[in-house]
Amino acid sequence: MHAFRNLRNCTKDCLCLYVCPTGASDTENGQIDFKKCIACGLCISACPSHAISMVPDTFAPQQRKADAMKQEMMKLIQTIAEQEAAAHELAKHSDDKVFAQLAAALEKSNRIMAEDLFREAGYMLPQSKNTHDFLRSLKAVSDDRFPMEAVDQLLTLLDQND
Amino acid sequence: MKKYVCTICGYIYDEAAGSPDQGIAADTKWEDLPETWVCPICTAPKSMFNEVKEEVKEEAEEKEQKLENKLNLSSLEMSILCSNLAKGCEKQVLMDEMALFQKLADYFKAHAKKTVDPQFETLRTLVNENLSDIYPIASQTAKELNDRGSLRALVWSEKVSRIQSSLLDRLLKEGSDFIEKTNVYVCEICGYIYVGDEAPEICPVCKVPNFKLHKIERGQ
Repeated sequence: MHAFRNLRNCTKDCLCLYVCPTGASDTENGQIDFKKCIACGLCISACPSHAISMVPDTFAPQQRKADAMKQEMMKLIQTIAEQEAAAHELAKHSDDKVFAQLAAALEKSNRIMAEDLFREAGYMLPQSKNTHDFLRSLKAVSDDRFPMEAVDQLLTLLDQND
Repeated sequence: MKKYVCTICGYIYDEAAGSPDQGIAADTKWEDLPETWVCPICTAPKSMFNEVKEEVKEEAEEKEQKLENKLNLSSLEMSILCSNLAKGCEKQVLMDEMALFQKLADYFKAHAKKTVDPQFETLRTLVNENLSDIYPIASQTAKELNDRGSLRALVWSEKVSRIQSSLLDRLLKEGSDFIEKTNVYVCEICGYIYVGDEAPEICPVCKVPNFKLHKIERGQ
């Protein structure tokens, strides 16, 4: 665990600097030095603007999803992805600037909806078995330009928790 | 067209977009900005800006790569899955992992199949088909399973789809006049689209405060 500062809430009262026993909260970029933080929680209780919270290192296994639910979610994701693809082309190629602007909004809107549906279709946690299975399946991609090193690094960096 | 970043606050001046709020027209070159011009966010002078060197992106292939995957997902669907997982890492403040998932998401998006002859009408048809055929069944399934997480996502995206449908209706019926003189915002949490001068205080669909509603800029 380590403390994390939400810079949007931080009102620079700086009490965290006074209570932190390791100096982790005093940094040039405004974020807490996660390597120095010992997760004592003193900064969290001292902060008047509730800008600091504790980020866990380990997470509970994600909720299991029924196959029937997954299937319905995947149907929606499929169509919404098609919508994103169409909106992407419309945003790029519409001559009318306002039409292109709305298409860009639709492209983004569809992406956000489909991401959220994926979350509820069994891909909430990056540490889940589902995510790891997905990453492992990417090992079969054969394209020189595919960033395989990203897949390898993720499989090393992320622990599987279920 | 180049871009310049303010080294104080991070604001980016995009020559293509100009800075309409300051009376700087689109396509105004950096050199042509008056020396008295200042950053619209933090009022830093021009000398505080650096040019943004963008990575040259390789031309994406026209054809979708035959990507072996047991999940049977299209390239764009894999991109969406990866950008979702990038957000998951961001929430846990795993910034390296976030960047790696984002890299994968960008790759898959660049290699996604392109829509042939895209039309706003076809887009509306897709949205309406989901609304009439899939959402009712999916919501019923979620209720029967007492899966309130899925039901939550379905409630949000069904509402957002209704908004999308009505915006497309209006665009196809009356043209773009209703957007011309105002702004477009998208909620980064649920995808809600708002057309109006100022974003509402909270997102009407997911209730998040409006700093998470992003303005969609009009292109050059």
